[in-house]
Amino acid sequence: MSFSLSEQTEAKIDQVMQRYPEKRAATLPILHLIQEEKGWISDEAQNYVAQRVEVPPIKIREVLSFYTLLHTRKIGKFHFQVCRTVACTLRGGKSILQHLEKKLGIKSGETSADGMFTLTEVECLAACEIAPMLQLNDDYIGPLTPEKLDELIDGLK
Amino acid sequence: MPRITIDEQEIEVVAGATIIQAAGQAGIDIPRYCYHPGLSIVGVCRICLVEIEGMPKLQVACYTPVAEGMVVSTKSERVQQARKHVLEFLLANHPIDCPVCDQAGECWLQEYYMQFGLYDPKMQEDKNKKHKAVVVGPHVILDAERCILCTRCVRFCDEISQTHELGIFNRGDHAELMPMPGVALENPYSVNTVDICPVGALTERDFRFKTRVWYLDTTPSVCAGCSTGCNIEIHTNTERTYKAEGRRVARLKPRYNAHINQFWICDEGRYGFLHVDADNRITRPAVRQSDGFEPVSWQDALQTLAEEIEKTRHGGGKIGVIGSAQMTVEDLYVLREFSRRFLGGDKIPVHLRPFEEPYHDDFLISKDRHPNTRGAELLGFSVSPAGISKMLEACHKGEIELLFVFHHILGRGFESGYIDEAFAKCRRVIFIGSNEQATSERAHMLLPASTWVEKEGSFVNRDGRIQKLNQALAPLGESKPEWKILRDLSRILGNALAYFEPGDIFAELAASHPAFQGLSLHDIPADGLLLSTTAAEAMAVAGEPG
Repeated sequence: MSFSLSEQTEAKIDQVMQRYPEKRAATLPILHLIQEEKGWISDEAQNYVAQRVEVPPIKIREVLSFYTLLHTRKIGKFHFQVCRTVACTLRGGKSILQHLEKKLGIKSGETSADGMFTLTEVECLAACEIAPMLQLNDDYIGPLTPEKLDELIDGLK
Repeated sequence: MPRITIDEQEIEVVAGATIIQAAGQAGIDIPRYCYHPGLSIVGVCRICLVEIEGMPKLQVACYTPVAEGMVVSTKSERVQQARKHVLEFLLANHPIDCPVCDQAGECWLQEYYMQFGLYDPKMQEDKNKKHKAVVVGPHVILDAERCILCTRCVRFCDEISQTHELGIFNRGDHAELMPMPGVALENPYSVNTVDICPVGALTERDFRFKTRVWYLDTTPSVCAGCSTGCNIEIHTNTERTYKAEGRRVARLKPRYNAHINQFWICDEGRYGFLHVDADNRITRPAVRQSDGFEPVSWQDALQTLAEEIEKTRHGGGKIGVIGSAQMTVEDLYVLREFSRRFLGGDKIPVHLRPFEEPYHDDFLISKDRHPNTRGAELLGFSVSPAGISKMLEACHKGEIELLFVFHHILGRGFESGYIDEAFAKCRRVIFIGSNEQATSERAHMLLPASTWVEKEGSFVNRDGRIQKLNQALAPLGESKPEWKILRDLSRILGNALAYFEPGDIFAELAASHPAFQGLSLHDIPADGLLLSTTAAEAMAVAGEPG
């Protein structure tokens, strides 16, 4: 399968690459740019990056497996990342997760069949002041209650 | 050059050296897992921590360069404590399955734990489960739980073989050594990863479960797989061969030689010993009868052969010899002398044009798969690739009555029936070799030769470096080194060649040949000796191309 990016992303990658004296230093910014466009990093994307920064593909794969915020599988349009660390758990984080699982019909770590929602549990997102909280795509949302969640999800549909 | 003090010992070291190297120079062994002198330095295992005066924290000895006036302690209380705790962390996810682990006995976790383990471990966490018994390539098997993530094998694949098959995936204590999905660890040097693995994560599929390493004997020698002449250790298992299907050679390991192979050998060379104890070894002299080969005694075989030689010479017939660059310098020297005395010495060919070009690279694997071509050349043998073909042509024309063939497999690469016809024109074809193969099947007489691990002698590698082979095993069955076969035959023919061991032969050679002048077989250093090239080249020029 051939891999191609939009002209804008290609242009951004060219720009990013000029910032570093060593090409492989641009690995992470390039991966972010690709994920921004595609939503995830496919094997083809991984090989493309390897070629751009002139390292063997396995080095990109190592990086991808290291960072959980780089997705190596297709994820839903809306990505719920529910905090499961102490502060949120004490404030009812577990019930928030259970409510989401029921509402979306998927378990933690799964993506809904229609490709709309992905649900994952994550460690502390450093927003304990709004516990219990979650991250929806790039936004922090909290403090949560089941009612607020219903409202949130209905608003997305 | 900076002067530094290590454990109260003052030494002068090369600028830019790291502490671990400087300590080595002073005879102090600092523990290491990730550090390997043949690879880049990463400083990830942390076992080599040392205390440096004036530095608040312990430093890794492998990565810290020496500086003028540095005072280092490798044995202080703080260092000892640190090592204990580093080991504790390295063992956090290790299964400690030594009783079923092939590495036991040569494992650096065991070694250092005995030296400074924390015998009352504080770790109470559950161990992570990782992949076990993963076949990662044709020769290598991985147990990811035993891995301590030192990345030596990853760096080997990146820097030495440059094939990039292995990587560390995931993060923290879920981090795991794995090959790239869909990629096998099958580069021509893959098993070196097993050699450098300090623990039981990577083990050798061939050697696995055959024997415990403490039953092995070690003999330093030289690989006979090609003209590079990599230095090896032959690990033999003579007392428990029943555990290994009768195999006496357990494995070959690389031996350091700065001039040739550094720390490595190729996989082809590593498994170049499998014929030594193979079922098809020729263990007794034999003579062809109408219904196959009939074993005979050495006495009878050589008597018959002597009569054949005399008969041929009296009748004015020609005797052909096909030598082999698998033979040692000593074997070839005796063959040359024997040939001059009894066969009417011609320039003896040793090379056969390969029917297909073998794999080779610019690292350790030579195109010439013979270990002693330079040696044969120096002794005046014909190393032209057409040499043997010409000899066979002469046989085909009926010009040769008696043909001696050493080792060569004559079959593949010729038109079908060509060898049969050539041999049929000779009255007798005598095969001297170690294993049954295409030539032995067609010969009239078989004389069993010992293999290179069963004899002492020397090879001259492609650079003109002479290196000594040491005998690791007794010759199998009644087999003998080629020089002994020819010496015994010369006794029956009269005018005996008087040699008792390869050293005698070498002494005679050293006295008569400028390239070997002043050398003695037993004084060849462990890393070999570059023969004086002027003399070597002079001889090569003097010998006409065959």
